[in-house]
Amino acid sequence: MTILPQDFARRSFLYRELESAGATFDEVNGAAIAMACGDDAAAEAAQARSLGLSDLSVLPRTGYKGWNMATWLQGQGAEMAEQNNNVSPQADGTRIARLAPGEALLLGDDQGSAGLIEKMDGAWSMETADGCFQVPRAETNFWLALSGAETPALFAKICAVDLRPAAAPPHTVVQTNVARLNAIIIRRDTAEVPVFDLLSDIASAVYLWRALLDAMDEFGGKPIGLTALRTLK
Amino acid sequence: MERLSAPMGSRIDRTERVSFRFEGQQYSGYRGDTIASALYANDVTMLSRSFKYHRPRGVLSMCGQDSNTMVQIGNKPNRLADRIAIEAGLDVMGQNYWGSLEKDRLAALRYFARFMPVGFYYKAFYKPRWSWRLWAKLIRRVAGLGVVALDTPHGYYDKQYLFTDVTVIGAGPAGLAAALEAAEAGAKVLLVDENIELGGALTYARFDGAGEAGERTRADLVAKVSAHECIRVMTDTACTGWYADNWLPLIKDNRLYKLRAGSLVVASGCYEQPLIFQNNDLPGIMLGSAAQRLIRLYGIKPGNRAVVATANQDGYGVALDLLDAGMEVACVVDVRPDPPEEEMSAAVMRRHVPILAGATLREAVPSAGGLGVRAVKIARLESATKAARRYDSFACDVIAMSGSYVPAAAMLHQAGGRVSFAADNGSFSVHDLPAHLSAAGSVGGTNALENVLSEGAAAGRAAASDAGFSSAGASAAPSIAEEAPGAWPIIIHPKGKDFVDFDEDLQSHDIENALTEGYQHIQLLKRFTTNGMGPSQGRHATLPAIRLAARRTGAGLDETGSTTSRPPIGPLTMAHLAGRSFEPVRYTAMHYRHVERGARKMPAGAWMRPEYYGAAHSRADNIAAEVVSVRENVGMIDVSTLGGLEIRGPDAAEFLNRMYTFAYLKQPVGRARYVLMTDESGVIVDDGVACRMHDDHFYVTATTSGVDGVYRTMLWYNVQWRLKVDITHVSGSYAGVNIAGPNSREVLQKLCDDVDLSPEAFPYMGVRRGTVAGIPALFLRVGFVGELGYELHVPASQGEALWDALMEAGNEAGIQPFGVEAQRLLRLEKGHIIISQDTDGLTTPHEADMGWAIANKKPFYVGMRSVAIQDSVGLKRKLVGFELADSTGKKPKECHLVIRSGSITGRVTSIAHSPTLNKVIGLAYVAPDQAEPGTEIDIKIDGGEMVKAVVVKLPFYDPDGARQEM
Amino acid sequence: MKQMNCPLNGVRNIQEFAHGGEVVDQPDPNRCSDAEWAEFVFMEANTAGVVREWWCHVATAYWFIAERDTLKDEIIRTYDAGELFKERVDFTRPEAPKET
Repeated sequence: MTILPQDFARRSFLYRELESAGATFDEVNGAAIAMACGDDAAAEAAQARSLGLSDLSVLPRTGYKGWNMATWLQGQGAEMAEQNNNVSPQADGTRIARLAPGEALLLGDDQGSAGLIEKMDGAWSMETADGCFQVPRAETNFWLALSGAETPALFAKICAVDLRPAAAPPHTVVQTNVARLNAIIIRRDTAEVPVFDLLSDIASAVYLWRALLDAMDEFGGKPIGLTALRTLK
Repeated sequence: MERLSAPMGSRIDRTERVSFRFEGQQYSGYRGDTIASALYANDVTMLSRSFKYHRPRGVLSMCGQDSNTMVQIGNKPNRLADRIAIEAGLDVMGQNYWGSLEKDRLAALRYFARFMPVGFYYKAFYKPRWSWRLWAKLIRRVAGLGVVALDTPHGYYDKQYLFTDVTVIGAGPAGLAAALEAAEAGAKVLLVDENIELGGALTYARFDGAGEAGERTRADLVAKVSAHECIRVMTDTACTGWYADNWLPLIKDNRLYKLRAGSLVVASGCYEQPLIFQNNDLPGIMLGSAAQRLIRLYGIKPGNRAVVATANQDGYGVALDLLDAGMEVACVVDVRPDPPEEEMSAAVMRRHVPILAGATLREAVPSAGGLGVRAVKIARLESATKAARRYDSFACDVIAMSGSYVPAAAMLHQAGGRVSFAADNGSFSVHDLPAHLSAAGSVGGTNALENVLSEGAAAGRAAASDAGFSSAGASAAPSIAEEAPGAWPIIIHPKGKDFVDFDEDLQSHDIENALTEGYQHIQLLKRFTTNGMGPSQGRHATLPAIRLAARRTGAGLDETGSTTSRPPIGPLTMAHLAGRSFEPVRYTAMHYRHVERGARKMPAGAWMRPEYYGAAHSRADNIAAEVVSVRENVGMIDVSTLGGLEIRGPDAAEFLNRMYTFAYLKQPVGRARYVLMTDESGVIVDDGVACRMHDDHFYVTATTSGVDGVYRTMLWYNVQWRLKVDITHVSGSYAGVNIAGPNSREVLQKLCDDVDLSPEAFPYMGVRRGTVAGIPALFLRVGFVGELGYELHVPASQGEALWDALMEAGNEAGIQPFGVEAQRLLRLEKGHIIISQDTDGLTTPHEADMGWAIANKKPFYVGMRSVAIQDSVGLKRKLVGFELADSTGKKPKECHLVIRSGSITGRVTSIAHSPTLNKVIGLAYVAPDQAEPGTEIDIKIDGGEMVKAVVVKLPFYDPDGARQEM
Repeated sequence: MKQMNCPLNGVRNIQEFAHGGEVVDQPDPNRCSDAEWAEFVFMEANTAGVVREWWCHVATAYWFIAERDTLKDEIIRTYDAGELFKERVDFTRPEAPKET
């Protein structure tokens, strides 16, 4: 049976863009995610290595902030980096990006398993967490992944911060302006080619998607599905 | 013309001919030729007409540093023919003539030159005042620069950021050496040059008698630079300025690069200077370096018989190159009375070319027809300002000038550096350069090749070290004694036509006259004469003007000062500046549903919102129908654009109490309360509602356009107050729908089984959590539109599903989505203000009749003290409701003025025809004594007519609020 | 374009920041004179020399303090506002109504 984004109440703001890119969907985390953009899996995997754009907006993520944020998260079993703008990978594949002394962003893995995120969101309430407050990151931000050797060159067209490999090593978090949107950029820990997560204002998803495709064009960049992204190590 | 054989003509590919058109005629050149070189090879030496006198002009610098070669290419005016390569089918036209380039009817203007003295604009056309409009038309036709085509198609231009450790501007010998040395130390180096190939002067100039040193050095350096993995080369790239912290704009093709340059080495070289003598602007009179470029780069023999005029040894190199190209050199005129003997001058002598030392050029004699030169008159120099009356005439068709050099120091100036010219001999130095910037090579006055190379290497090493890459060893210090440069004396010709500024057709006596009139300050002199203000930006004209001014005042060159150089350094197209612009647009989750239903979209900040649904030609009817459906049945509006803030923590209520005018400490959980924010001066800046979700948690809405500022302001205050409160910005995280109208409860009930919607259980201004069609939602009973209604806030990702569910549930009742215009009308009927439409930058709470929203007993809110002071001063105006006496007559518009006895007492802020009341109603500021209901006011509409209105009590509709509290 | 060091995010183009005015002490709004309050609300010192200012890194909504030399156009130091604002601030009503 063909799975369509409209089959679910939760939808990525980008599902129409993906449909027009020829995407096929599968169910992950109670919503539809684009698994492939076309029929040629090998070509799409190669695309992921040169320059690919994928929409991860329906995958699990959450955020916490407050003066006791670190203490509460650690109490829930999280490993937290001391340094701001750095990612701490967790045992279950979750990544915790420390955005400020009192703010963290939790990103689930590409399988869509929620793990630590579900556990925390389940445990959190105004009563149980003193000085630590939930941030609805899954609703505040869209979530894209940009992958491939050309990503630094692409970012140089839309972002004033240097994201060349040496300047932005794995696990770097950059909070800056991307094509005039406030955005969070996170470099993944991939050895082959750089992969960046990009999160920004959910309502501007279509705008940025189109701006990215326009900027990617000169490098041959294209939308890809989750399957191709998962091939990157 | 037969081209010179290789290695001359390094840029041309003799295997490929390229045809193009100039002035409608077909010409051909080789791949690699510029327009100017290809034309020169076809014996077309006149490229343009001058700006004021329409004199014929040809190649001067042959590298885009003058305005003589400006041509029109298609839609693009003022293109530099000596920089732009020919392509098949290129259609090039000359500029600034009336008729044809060759037979310009306006060339007769030269005979009127004495009626057009410097400053004549300021003197001639200002009386009577109306006459300028007539003059302007004529002058603009006569003195134009190309044609701007208003229908020019848009091209694709964009921008890109660049990052590097070390940047070297200029890829001449100094720049190449600097780049290599910095890269050797491990720094990533960006090497930028405006030319299409690396090497700078090494590609065309002569450094030794044999004429081999330049090419040998170039080949060696370029090979090393090209092979070095740490060096990125950008040729054909213009750096158009220096901005703070070494931020450089680079232009290449259709892209503007914004470079954070790291440590910067400026090796931008220098500009060779022309000489000032009569008819020094004729085609065939060019810089020595231009003649060398013609020969070396394009394989073109500049003419048959040349006179070389020089103030330094470089002129001898020019003479040797001309001889090698097969030309006769009639003589070398050296301004120096006793030129030192060196390798190149000795070689010139060996080739039996007479050298006239201590002499100067006085006058070029035009050829028949005036489009070239046929001879030059040379006189002995008696002093720096006087030449002998007797002259010798030398026949020639080319005059090559090596006057002296000025540094290409615009970037250094912009960075705060200064250039000092020593005395009158033309030597200069740069100083006061900021940190992370150095100059190398001839831009700093170093000319001997060995010195330039060692200085470049030292600068590269220092720049790398500055960027954190140090290397062992030290560079060799400059070892060769620098030749003392000379400067050509300026001897004013009694008959003029001795041009100082070719762009603006300024002669030396124009400068003299301005000085006589008292414009002796260099900045005044520049503006009065327009010297240096043309397209070539004073590259050749500034130094002579400074020298003439210094000579007149007796001051030194340094005291006389220098004109500043602002970016852009070279011409810049608007398209590059505009580039690809980023204009974020925000869509709500339901955006495409609105589009599908035929919504007219309107921007609200970055958001796109439905203005109304339906066809544009029935706009008013559509809006009225939407209003009626809310008043009589059920309507639904997308309010996702509302700002949202979560205020959480033990001090949440205390924090709201400080940020907003109302009282929040005792607000019950599950209730909403109006919020009004003033700034420190007591002016209204935002409003919304605060929903108490928990003792320690408020969800606060803010206006669509105000929320970013409100959020930032809240954070700013709490950084200082240190309250135990967290402020989270969640605008956009929630999709919002306001379903309103007498039947709204019935529709919502179908989708909701976990919230009791009865008025007893969920009263007006109540807040609940529950689900709608299985979607988790915040329910909020508010009454902006004045009917029973529910605002539903759900996760943004489920907004579209919510909208679909509500539309389906409301289908039976005939639910009608409504847009922003209907909402504005509905709230106007209820007398609710919209911040920044009905308020301005000075509106106080009491002016807007919001006294009810102010808690006076609490210790503090932002603006409290100012509001108290406003109270003691008294009102100056008041916002009131009004209706038109005659609702069928002419209708005022927003911002039309309220007039009493000829004076303004206020203005209309909102006005509309109310379908509910069938009246024209509105809000307006009036004088406090006009605020009483029943007062008649006059509103002045377009055309000056007065329209009568009556002040009425607010709200216009349902004054008891019975309908919204159903 | 100038650069500024954000204490949270590092060196960024000045375009990423919003200026928030000079750091000034607010007089006690319940006890100061009208003139003192007006001075606080409406007047800027506009110092030619070293100034202490509020700046905000917009992308992270992070407020901090910068010391700048306005004559040299140099940023001397940037630091977290916690260095200056360490204590909770509270407001109280005066005991007796203020005489005017």
